[in-house]
Amino acid sequence: MPTTRRAAVLGGNRIPFARQFGPYAEASNQDMLTATLEGLVARHGLAGERVGEVVAGAVIKHSRDFNLTREAVLGSSLAPDTPAYDIQQACGTGLEATILVANKIALGQAESAIAGGVDSASDAPIVVPERLRRKLLRLSRAKTPADRARAAITLRPTDLGIQVPAATEPRTGMSMGQHMAITAARWGVTREAQDELALASHQHLAAAYERGFFDDLVTPYLGLTRDQNLRPDTTLEKLGSLRTAFGSGPDATMTAGNSTPLSDGASAVLLGSQEWAAAHGLTPLAWFVDGETAAVDHLGGEEGLLMAPAYAVPRMLARQGLTLQDFDLYEIHEAFAATVLSTLAAWESPEFCRERLGLEAPLGSIDRSRLNVNGSSLAAGHPFAATGGRIVASLAKQLHEKGSGARGLISICAAGGQGVVAILEAA
Amino acid sequence: MAVETLATLPATAPLLARAAVTARGRRGSEVPQRTLRVEDVRVDRGRLAAYQRLTGYDVSDTVPQPYPWVLAFPLQTALMTRPDFPLALPGLVHLENRVTTHRPLDASEPLTFDVTAGDLRPHRRGRTLDVRLEARVDDELVWTCDSVYLSRGRGDEDAPRGDAPPQAPDGPAVAVWRLPDGLGREYAGVSGDVNPIHLHPLAARAMGFRRHIAHGMWTYARTLAALGRTSLGPSTSRVWFTKPVFLPSTVELVVGRAPGATTAALRSRRDPPTTHLVLTLEA
Repeated sequence: MPTTRRAAVLGGNRIPFARQFGPYAEASNQDMLTATLEGLVARHGLAGERVGEVVAGAVIKHSRDFNLTREAVLGSSLAPDTPAYDIQQACGTGLEATILVANKIALGQAESAIAGGVDSASDAPIVVPERLRRKLLRLSRAKTPADRARAAITLRPTDLGIQVPAATEPRTGMSMGQHMAITAARWGVTREAQDELALASHQHLAAAYERGFFDDLVTPYLGLTRDQNLRPDTTLEKLGSLRTAFGSGPDATMTAGNSTPLSDGASAVLLGSQEWAAAHGLTPLAWFVDGETAAVDHLGGEEGLLMAPAYAVPRMLARQGLTLQDFDLYEIHEAFAATVLSTLAAWESPEFCRERLGLEAPLGSIDRSRLNVNGSSLAAGHPFAATGGRIVASLAKQLHEKGSGARGLISICAAGGQGVVAILEAA
Repeated sequence: MAVETLATLPATAPLLARAAVTARGRRGSEVPQRTLRVEDVRVDRGRLAAYQRLTGYDVSDTVPQPYPWVLAFPLQTALMTRPDFPLALPGLVHLENRVTTHRPLDASEPLTFDVTAGDLRPHRRGRTLDVRLEARVDDELVWTCDSVYLSRGRGDEDAPRGDAPPQAPDGPAVAVWRLPDGLGREYAGVSGDVNPIHLHPLAARAMGFRRHIAHGMWTYARTLAALGRTSLGPSTSRVWFTKPVFLPSTVELVVGRAPGATTAALRSRRDPPTTHLVLTLEA
């Protein structure tokens, strides 16, 4: 029987995140993931090394990329006998990949692993309309010339057209921003509070670059050395002058400035057992303590689409015997500034914690000076599947700087009403 | 040797047009002693990405080993279309190539190119000459390329033979590539090498070929890309273009690996004894 042991986060690498149709417009998911793995390999001396497994994924993925991660491994300097597979849990992909490989390491099923994610909003697969697709499939399975003729005759010029995948919820037809606007209004999240959070994100990310925090976490790609979306000199005035993008009327509070832009990028995190790390001369930055996923029923309007982390975190805290205040650092993914603020408001609400979470007392508030201290998605951008790896690597490094025992909480919301959360502890 | 520095890379199409018009009058047995130089050549990332996609490299910052040849193609063309250049450019056949990457090249680095031609000598199918390309970053030599070209004509059976290509590896194919009819046109768009022998069957027939053929530099790059990341670092590759690849066609890649050196070949799928290219890669 396997016994469990601790899995360590040993390091990470990502390429700077670019805005949609920016410098990475010509790069595919495979190109970006390969470049990211290659940077991780170079930084940790893994050339020719067989890693236990590489797990990554993309949210917007072309059907030809069925083996995206394995193909990226083959294009990298990792040993070609390194196995790999793809996963996809929307914006939770990168963190879910980390949980999966950390569990395998904990169980002794792997000594080392790489978790990651990549997304391109620029190099998106284009699909034909559903009606045309069905007719073409019928045409291709026709066996006799008569069948073919019958199938071909149904094709109409009006069937032609192309569709680019959009960030809309399949069952509601609403964009993520429209969903978020409803939740933000429900929690009374103000425009000012959102703009302040966005400003802090840019300022923190810029400061982290300035002090060299990302020197061993980011590898330049296609001429980009910093996240393209970063505006170090933005101000509350500038953010306040933007027109609202989601919602309508006086309640509309969400703008392009306090929402994440569509982005291109990739990230990867190296994990391993303590023994493997020692044998490879690598220093554990943080231990992977626990992970939890949750989902909400966003269809009936009972709960907001991006509120699942509010449910996942208390379940994980209860299991660990921790309170929300027992953390030195908090990483709450800024899908929108309003996502972070709604989640914090929910945890502070006695009513929500009692009725929705079944808790006698609210989780309470957090020390905001510990939140997203090196910036988050509002400033860096948010290539969906790449965000988890960005956060895990940055948090592990920041915890390590704080010193042994420092604890960090990660919270990431995902499409489909899902949420992935985790705890890291400084090694 | 006299070094003549051009202000910018010349446009290739007018040079090729001039080369076609002046093809007939060219004679002489000496290559003028001359080096053409152009400084501050920048990599256009959009063009590089298109090249990387078409040749099977990942889109990345590292310049593929054959790519500087593409960058310097206008300079090389300028040298070979000078009025005193003894050989006609149209119909010239690329026989061999040896490239050394001294260190990885980043797409952000401006390059200085030198091109020199020399050693015009008899060959059993005409005459050959050597062209040397060098790329520098500031004063550091980062990339060297020696090409051998054949001008078909009255041959000399007694001409000394160059290095024979190594034996093509035997064994099963490690990859099969279907090269489409339009490959030459696509590569011409990416590389600027619009030699008609690559573009269309009729144009190629006018130049004495049965059909249009793939660019040797494409088959070379595609093969190097298939061998992994080795050629992105310090390494030397040498290629012999033994038989043209008529388009469209299907080719097989065969690879033989030895410590420190890889031999690869492209052979015809329909007629495996036909070897199109043999390549060695050492790092």
